[in-house]
Amino acid sequence: MELLWLISATILLHCLLRLARTALDRRRRQQCYLLDYELYKPSDDRKLSTHLCNAIISRNLRLSLPDLRFLLKVVVNSGISEETYAPRSVILGREECPTLADALDELDDALFSALDALFCRTAIRPRDVDLLVVNVSMFSPAPSLTARIVNRYKMREDVRTFNLAGMGCSASPIAVDLVNNAFKATPQATLAVVVTSESIAPNWYCGTDKSKMLGNCLFRCGGCAFVLTNDPELRRRAKMRLRCLVRTHIGASDEAYQCAIQTEDEDGRVGFHLGKTLPKAAVRAFAENLQRLAPRVLPPVDLAIYALRHWLTRWAAKGGDPAAARGISLKGGVEHFCLHTGGAAVIEAVGRALGLTKHDVEPARMALHRWGNTSASSVWYVLGYMEAKRRLRRGDRVLMLSFGAGFKCNSCLWEVLRHLDDGGAWADCIHRYPPQTLVNPFLEQFGWVNEA
Amino acid sequence: MPSSSSSEPLPEFLSSVKLKYVELGYRYVMSKLVTLVLFPVMVVLLLETLKLDPSEVVSLWRRAQGISAVNTLAAVFLLVLVATAYFMSRPRPIFLVDFACFLPAPSCRVPFATYIEHARLVPFFDEKTVRFQLRILERSGLGEETCLPPDNRYIPPRNSLKASRAEAELVIFSALDQLIGKTGLKPKDVDILVVNCSLFSPTPSLSDMVVNKYKLRSNVLSFNLSGMGCSAGLISIDLARDLLQAHPNSYALVVSTEIITPNYYIGKERSMLLPNCLFRMGAAAVLLSNRRRDRSRAKYRLLHVVRTHRGADDPAYRCVHEDEDDDGNSGIRLSKDLMAIAGEALRANIMTVGPLVLPVTEQLRFLASLVGRRLITAGAVARPGWKPYVPDFMRAFEHFCIHAGGRAVIDELQRSLRLSSEHVEASRMALHRFGNTSSSSLWYELGYIEAKGRMHRGDRVWMIGFGSGFKCNSAVWRCLRSVATPVEGPWAECIHRYPVDIPEVVKLL
Repeated sequence: MELLWLISATILLHCLLRLARTALDRRRRQQCYLLDYELYKPSDDRKLSTHLCNAIISRNLRLSLPDLRFLLKVVVNSGISEETYAPRSVILGREECPTLADALDELDDALFSALDALFCRTAIRPRDVDLLVVNVSMFSPAPSLTARIVNRYKMREDVRTFNLAGMGCSASPIAVDLVNNAFKATPQATLAVVVTSESIAPNWYCGTDKSKMLGNCLFRCGGCAFVLTNDPELRRRAKMRLRCLVRTHIGASDEAYQCAIQTEDEDGRVGFHLGKTLPKAAVRAFAENLQRLAPRVLPPVDLAIYALRHWLTRWAAKGGDPAAARGISLKGGVEHFCLHTGGAAVIEAVGRALGLTKHDVEPARMALHRWGNTSASSVWYVLGYMEAKRRLRRGDRVLMLSFGAGFKCNSCLWEVLRHLDDGGAWADCIHRYPPQTLVNPFLEQFGWVNEA
Repeated sequence: MPSSSSSEPLPEFLSSVKLKYVELGYRYVMSKLVTLVLFPVMVVLLLETLKLDPSEVVSLWRRAQGISAVNTLAAVFLLVLVATAYFMSRPRPIFLVDFACFLPAPSCRVPFATYIEHARLVPFFDEKTVRFQLRILERSGLGEETCLPPDNRYIPPRNSLKASRAEAELVIFSALDQLIGKTGLKPKDVDILVVNCSLFSPTPSLSDMVVNKYKLRSNVLSFNLSGMGCSAGLISIDLARDLLQAHPNSYALVVSTEIITPNYYIGKERSMLLPNCLFRMGAAAVLLSNRRRDRSRAKYRLLHVVRTHRGADDPAYRCVHEDEDDDGNSGIRLSKDLMAIAGEALRANIMTVGPLVLPVTEQLRFLASLVGRRLITAGAVARPGWKPYVPDFMRAFEHFCIHAGGRAVIDELQRSLRLSSEHVEASRMALHRFGNTSSSSLWYELGYIEAKGRMHRGDRVWMIGFGSGFKCNSAVWRCLRSVATPVEGPWAECIHRYPVDIPEVVKLL
């Protein structure tokens, strides 16, 4: 009889150990590691020089003199250089009538060259990929871009694919969120590949509506492919680990929803409208995001100090405007800031709100200068700058902050796992940054427009 | 079961699953190892206890009372800990609280005569093209009550961004309003939102449009899937399931639709005209939950989602493809191999679904048949009469919802899976009444089964979707409570007229 009790006790112990092991495994696999990322660098014949820009602008015969002036003003004050890339069809003069082939070629170049380089560098076989996420906001053919990639790289039949579209410039954290949730839901070791880019060629605006012409001046070709995994065995090779992710969507407000929206102008031409209420929406979304982000990022002491200061200010102002985000500094919990390169004004405003120094906003300003607004992949170019400048040391925390149509503000905090020094797409030009002067070459040629 | 000679080779897909079954068997044994060992021990213990005299029982009880409180407490604590850990490690159940489908207004109906008249009046089709479309309609399996969006009926059709958004608002908001009415859902309670629409994705996305209209919370997790074809409804369910596993106590809204307005093909290529003839307006909204208190009011529980992607195979990838014809008109090109490719994709999907859903007896019988045949053929003597065993899927499911892609797709699946006409009735009738509504068609079919009063507690439903890529996705649901015949919904007014007999060819002219 005693023997039997002993046996049952042993089996119970075995169950307990197995459960403990499962729980521990599950816990370990819930981490999300960034194994590596690859920035897309288009070929140099697609660089948009002042001369080429001038040619493209003048081709639109519908533009009157005030329109031209406005356009040039935007370009001059944009903070972008002559090194940014445009789609081939636009450079060749086909911006008015882009074909499906043009759109596909532009994306094939972006997605496949980034993925080829990524697979080569990480030595990952396409057949090992378990999860594939593609994010391209303004172009979604059938079959989807994920199917296009599965076909090209002959991925497995049970690969889980998700094609996100219409999610705007803040979609990078959304794609990371999707993968992170998938890791939590399926605790087996999973390898996920995420590719993000934007489609410019079929969305070039050829009308005269000022709010829609801004897109033409700011959006440029770019993309990024990165590998995420929850496999603890790959931790040694991983660059960063995801600490937290906060998504904010203020689309409930009509004003916010309509401030960045694809619409048709009076002549029926489709363009991306960037409204005057956009900065206000951005501030609101940013404030809400910070409210949820700060407690997860800042050490308790900083939080306490901030809360005290905020309460005192409110008490002193006797119920004045409770702007929760003003004056908060995240520098106690974050060393590097990857800000979405929406435009010079956006970077400036966010930098001020977070109390950032010139050194902190330099990566974002330089990324805008070198690559333009590459939509959702912009934060990765900013990260690439930091890495190329060898700023990322082990233990540092990196905050990616992006804004996008909807209106959304999404942020994610990464922890750097080892000293990073890969130049990547910045390797050939990093030595020239930051430039002595940020005088825009467009300013030299078209600066008269500011005085006119 | 079809009879076959002993020398007939195993059906194609069966031969490729043999290793999978061996692997399955091993995994089954290993995962149940502890139970398999423990069970006999417990039985023996029980028998030993029963053999005890009453006096021995009393002495055992006295001994048990003698054990110190600490030890007893420790033992109880340990048991509770183990039980809790066990229950928490299991995946959260995903419940389908309810779903709603868009019912188009009668003014949107496009009987065949209307369709053909419109095709004749628009300037881009010549008489040959019109006749071709007529022949497609005759054999399509569609009825006279399918609906197209109002802007498609203009001459020429309006396909502006504004018109497309109008259709999206109409179908999506209508389905969501119905769902909110049925479930009492408060928009502020929605934690997760997934919208899928393959051929229309503006920026901001349709999911942002829903957030705006219903004033969802600022921390809602919204996703918008696009370009993923007619099987995207199940992909959205898969995504919602992942999110619900990661976030306890949450509601997920899944909206599946296809927007027809911008996709009217105005060229003459025959392979690109089929979508004009088959695709119709539709949308479905589904409320999923992982809250335990919703178990009592939920209709279904999600058991499995299995996805198969055949994109690596070039013909499969190219069989449903967006393209521009020689005149620059864009449309969806369907290849002639579509049926064969669909059949292949289904077989690949079954290989994964089969082991998950077939009853153990079926699987063991198949395994035994496999092993038996191997042993016999290893002995180099082909024993006559040992036939290969084909698993019977009708024993695994009570209801089948097959994507109503077209009559040919349903025919092909009925043949492949050896289903009776009752099993495919929901698909055929949904195709007849609503046309090919793409990713939402599965929900119209489920609505049909419910409207017919056939859904009972414990019934299992197999949803199979196909789509461009080429993908075949399956979802398996179990019904949690017998569903009363709904008094509202897309089928409420017409269910009494169904099923109808759909002839092979409807003579129109």
